[in-house]
Amino acid sequence: MSTDRQYELIYIVSPSATDEGVAELHTQVEAIVGKFDGRIEKTENWGKRRLAYEVNHCKEGTYVLELLLGSGEMVTELERRLRVEEDVLRHLVVRVDEELHTAERTATRRAETRKRRRGARGLPPEPQAPQTPVKATAEVKEATAEVKDG
Amino acid sequence: MVGKRGARGSRKDSKKSDRGGNKSGMFRRKKVCRFCVDKIDYIDYKNARMLMPFIPERGKIQPRRLSGTCATHQRKLQTAIKRARQLALVPYVTD
Repeated sequence: MSTDRQYELIYIVSPSATDEGVAELHTQVEAIVGKFDGRIEKTENWGKRRLAYEVNHCKEGTYVLELLLGSGEMVTELERRLRVEEDVLRHLVVRVDEELHTAERTATRRAETRKRRRGARGLPPEPQAPQTPVKATAEVKEATAEVKDG
Repeated sequence: MVGKRGARGSRKDSKKSDRGGNKSGMFRRKKVCRFCVDKIDYIDYKNARMLMPFIPERGKIQPRRLSGTCATHQRKLQTAIKRARQLALVPYVTD
Protein backbone atom coordinates (compact mmCIF):
# COMPACT_ATOMS: atom_id res chain seq x y z
CA MET A 1 0.00 0.00 0.00
CA SER A 2 1.09 3.48 -0.64
CA THR A 3 0.05 4.65 2.82
CA ASP A 4 2.98 2.86 4.44
CA ARG A 5 4.73 5.04 6.93
CA GLN A 6 7.78 4.63 9.05
CA TYR A 7 7.28 4.48 12.79
CA GLU A 8 9.43 3.94 15.80
CA LEU A 9 7.86 2.04 18.65
CA ILE A 10 9.52 1.90 22.04
CA TYR A 11 8.03 0.13 25.00
CA ILE A 12 9.34 -0.37 28.49
CA VAL A 13 8.68 -3.76 30.02
CA SER A 14 8.40 -4.11 33.76
CA PRO A 15 11.50 -5.58 35.45
CA SER A 16 9.38 -8.35 37.00
CA ALA A 17 8.74 -9.79 33.52
CA THR A 18 10.97 -12.65 32.45
CA ASP A 19 12.89 -12.88 29.17
CA GLU A 20 10.12 -15.11 27.87
CA GLY A 21 7.62 -12.39 28.76
CA VAL A 22 9.58 -9.88 26.69
CA ALA A 23 9.79 -12.33 23.80
CA GLU A 24 6.06 -12.99 24.12
CA LEU A 25 5.34 -9.25 23.83
CA HIS A 26 7.52 -9.09 20.74
CA THR A 27 5.57 -11.91 19.08
CA GLN A 28 2.34 -10.12 19.92
CA VAL A 29 3.61 -6.95 18.27
CA GLU A 30 4.75 -9.02 15.31
CA ALA A 31 1.28 -10.57 15.00
CA ILE A 32 -0.45 -7.18 14.98
CA VAL A 33 1.99 -5.78 12.46
CA GLY A 34 1.51 -8.84 10.26
CA LYS A 35 -2.26 -8.54 10.47
CA PHE A 36 -2.14 -5.01 9.04
CA ASP A 37 0.36 -5.95 6.30
CA GLY A 38 3.12 -3.98 7.98
CA ARG A 39 6.75 -4.87 8.37
CA ILE A 40 9.22 -4.86 11.23
CA GLU A 41 12.48 -3.47 9.92
CA LYS A 42 14.55 -3.85 13.02
CA THR A 43 14.17 -4.87 16.63
CA GLU A 44 16.54 -3.72 19.30
CA ASN A 45 16.53 -4.81 22.88
CA TRP A 46 18.35 -2.30 25.02
CA GLY A 47 18.23 -4.54 28.07
CA LYS A 48 17.49 -3.40 31.59
CA ARG A 49 18.03 0.31 32.13
CA ARG A 50 17.47 2.63 35.04
CA LEU A 51 14.46 4.88 34.61
CA ALA A 52 14.89 8.59 35.13
CA TYR A 53 11.88 8.53 37.46
CA GLU A 54 9.68 5.88 39.01
CA VAL A 55 6.94 4.44 36.85
CA ASN A 56 4.40 2.21 38.62
CA HIS A 57 6.84 1.89 41.54
CA CYS A 58 9.50 0.45 39.23
CA LYS A 59 12.96 1.94 39.12
CA GLU A 60 14.19 0.11 36.05
CA GLY A 61 12.76 -1.49 32.97
CA THR A 62 13.61 -3.34 29.79
CA TYR A 63 13.55 -1.11 26.73
CA VAL A 64 12.57 -2.57 23.38
CA LEU A 65 12.76 -0.55 20.18
CA GLU A 66 11.01 -1.64 16.98
CA LEU A 67 11.25 0.11 13.63
CA LEU A 68 7.98 -0.42 11.81
CA LEU A 69 6.56 0.19 8.39
CA GLY A 70 2.81 0.25 8.15
CA SER A 71 -0.45 2.14 8.22
CA GLY A 72 -2.02 4.37 10.83
CA GLU A 73 -4.64 1.73 11.69
CA MET A 74 -1.83 -0.60 12.65
CA VAL A 75 -0.53 1.99 15.09
CA THR A 76 -3.92 2.56 16.70
CA GLU A 77 -4.30 -1.18 17.22
CA LEU A 78 -0.76 -1.46 18.60
CA GLU A 79 -1.33 1.39 21.01
CA ARG A 80 -4.62 -0.10 22.19
CA ARG A 81 -3.00 -3.45 22.87
CA LEU A 82 0.06 -2.01 24.58
CA ARG A 83 -2.08 0.12 26.84
CA VAL A 84 -3.97 -2.96 28.03
CA GLU A 85 -0.80 -4.99 28.59
CA GLU A 86 0.15 -4.97 32.25
CA ASP A 87 3.83 -5.69 31.84
CA VAL A 88 4.32 -2.62 29.64
CA LEU A 89 5.15 0.37 31.81
CA ARG A 90 5.36 2.91 28.99
CA HIS A 91 5.19 2.96 25.27
CA LEU A 92 5.72 5.59 22.60
CA VAL A 93 5.09 5.52 18.88
CA VAL A 94 6.71 8.25 16.79
CA ARG A 95 6.34 8.74 13.07
CA VAL A 96 9.86 9.36 11.84
CA ASP A 97 9.82 9.32 8.04
CA GLU A 98 9.19 13.05 7.57
CA GLU A 99 11.78 14.09 10.12
CA LEU A 100 14.39 11.79 8.64
CA HIS A 101 13.65 13.08 5.16
CA THR A 102 14.08 16.69 6.23
CA ALA A 103 17.35 15.80 7.92
CA GLU A 104 18.56 14.05 4.80
CA ARG A 105 17.56 16.98 2.62
CA THR A 106 19.46 19.43 4.81
CA ALA A 107 22.52 17.20 4.71
CA THR A 108 22.51 16.91 0.92
CA ARG A 109 21.88 20.63 0.53
CA ARG A 110 24.80 21.39 2.81
CA ALA A 111 27.07 19.05 0.87
CA GLU A 112 26.06 20.67 -2.42
CA THR A 113 26.62 24.19 -1.16
CA ARG A 114 30.00 23.18 0.14
CA LYS A 115 30.96 21.62 -3.17
CA ARG A 116 29.81 24.70 -5.10
CA ARG A 117 31.62 27.11 -2.82
CA ARG A 118 34.80 25.09 -2.85
CA GLY A 119 34.54 24.94 -6.65
CA ALA A 120 34.12 28.72 -6.79
CA ARG A 121 37.28 29.11 -4.74
CA GLY A 122 39.15 26.80 -7.09
CA LEU A 123 39.61 24.05 -4.53
CA PRO A 124 38.95 20.32 -5.00
CA PRO A 125 35.37 19.40 -3.97
CA GLU A 126 36.49 17.49 -0.90
CA PRO A 127 39.09 18.76 1.54
CA GLN A 128 42.21 16.65 1.90
CA ALA A 129 43.11 14.98 5.15
CA PRO A 130 44.25 17.63 7.62
CA GLN A 131 48.00 17.31 7.77
CA THR A 132 49.04 20.82 8.61
CA PRO A 133 47.41 20.99 12.07
CA VAL A 134 49.33 17.91 13.23
CA LYS A 135 52.55 19.42 11.96
CA ALA A 136 51.73 22.70 13.60
CA THR A 137 51.25 21.10 17.01
CA ALA A 138 54.49 19.18 16.55
CA GLU A 139 56.28 22.45 15.84
CA VAL A 140 54.71 24.01 18.88
CA LYS A 141 55.84 21.06 20.97
CA GLU A 142 59.36 21.44 19.65
CA ALA A 143 59.28 25.13 20.40
CA THR A 144 58.15 24.52 23.97
CA ALA A 145 60.83 21.87 24.38
CA GLU A 146 63.41 24.38 23.23
CA VAL A 147 62.11 26.88 25.70
CA LYS A 148 62.38 24.28 28.45
CA ASP A 149 65.92 23.43 27.41
CA GLY A 150 66.82 27.08 27.46
CA MET B 1 23.61 55.93 -0.64
CA VAL B 2 26.10 57.70 1.52
CA GLY B 3 23.53 58.28 4.23
CA LYS B 4 22.59 54.65 4.19
CA ARG B 5 26.14 53.51 4.54
CA GLY B 6 26.65 55.95 7.34
CA ALA B 7 23.65 54.57 9.17
CA ARG B 8 24.93 51.06 8.84
CA GLY B 9 28.32 52.08 10.06
CA SER B 10 26.89 53.72 13.12
CA ARG B 11 24.81 50.65 13.91
CA LYS B 12 27.90 48.53 13.73
CA ASP B 13 29.65 50.92 16.06
CA SER B 14 26.83 50.79 18.58
CA LYS B 15 26.91 47.01 18.51
CA LYS B 16 30.59 47.07 19.18
CA SER B 17 30.16 49.33 22.14
CA ASP B 18 27.34 47.08 23.40
CA ARG B 19 29.64 44.14 23.45
CA GLY B 20 32.77 45.78 24.66
CA GLY B 21 31.07 48.13 27.08
CA ASN B 22 30.28 45.56 29.70
CA LYS B 23 30.44 46.74 33.26
CA SER B 24 33.10 44.20 34.05
CA GLY B 25 34.95 45.22 30.92
CA MET B 26 34.85 41.60 29.74
CA PHE B 27 34.48 40.73 26.10
CA ARG B 28 31.61 38.29 25.81
CA ARG B 29 32.15 35.74 23.09
CA LYS B 30 29.22 35.06 20.84
CA LYS B 31 27.73 31.65 21.56
CA VAL B 32 27.34 29.25 18.68
CA CYS B 33 24.84 26.46 18.21
CA ARG B 34 26.49 23.16 19.06
CA PHE B 35 24.27 21.25 16.65
CA CYS B 36 25.19 23.56 13.78
CA VAL B 37 28.87 23.18 14.56
CA ASP B 38 28.66 19.39 14.72
CA LYS B 39 26.32 19.36 11.68
CA ILE B 40 23.63 17.32 13.38
CA ASP B 41 20.42 17.43 11.37
CA TYR B 42 18.33 15.01 13.37
CA ILE B 43 18.29 15.24 17.14
CA ASP B 44 17.57 11.73 18.33
CA TYR B 45 15.32 11.48 21.37
CA LYS B 46 16.66 7.98 22.07
CA ASN B 47 20.16 9.28 22.70
CA ALA B 48 19.89 10.62 26.22
CA ARG B 49 23.60 11.39 26.38
CA MET B 50 23.22 13.90 23.57
CA LEU B 51 20.35 15.64 25.36
CA MET B 52 21.88 15.76 28.83
CA PRO B 53 24.05 18.87 28.30
CA PHE B 54 20.86 20.83 27.63
CA ILE B 55 19.14 19.68 30.78
CA PRO B 56 20.49 21.43 33.86
CA GLU B 57 20.26 19.94 37.33
CA ARG B 58 16.68 20.86 37.95
CA GLY B 59 15.53 18.98 34.84
CA LYS B 60 14.29 21.96 32.90
CA ILE B 61 15.15 22.57 29.27
CA GLN B 62 17.95 25.09 29.04
CA PRO B 63 16.85 28.28 27.27
CA ARG B 64 18.46 29.39 24.04
CA ARG B 65 19.83 32.46 25.72
CA LEU B 66 22.01 30.28 27.92
CA SER B 67 22.96 27.45 25.59
CA GLY B 68 23.33 29.48 22.40
CA THR B 69 21.42 26.92 20.34
CA CYS B 70 19.90 28.29 17.14
CA ALA B 71 16.12 28.53 16.82
CA THR B 72 15.75 25.58 14.46
CA HIS B 73 17.77 23.27 16.63
CA GLN B 74 16.21 24.46 19.85
CA ARG B 75 12.80 23.53 18.44
CA LYS B 76 14.03 20.09 17.51
CA LEU B 77 15.79 19.71 20.82
CA GLN B 78 12.58 20.61 22.61
CA THR B 79 10.55 17.83 20.97
CA ALA B 80 13.39 15.37 21.48
CA ILE B 81 13.61 16.14 25.21
CA LYS B 82 9.86 15.90 25.61
CA ARG B 83 9.78 12.52 23.93
CA ALA B 84 12.70 11.30 26.01
CA ARG B 85 10.84 12.40 29.12
CA GLN B 86 7.84 10.27 28.24
CA LEU B 87 10.15 7.28 28.00
CA ALA B 88 11.82 8.00 31.35
CA LEU B 89 15.17 8.45 29.62
CA VAL B 90 15.39 11.97 30.95
CA PRO B 91 13.72 13.34 34.10
CA TYR B 92 10.76 15.71 34.18
CA VAL B 93 11.97 17.23 37.42
CA THR B 94 14.73 16.46 39.86
CA ASP B 95 14.62 17.81 43.37
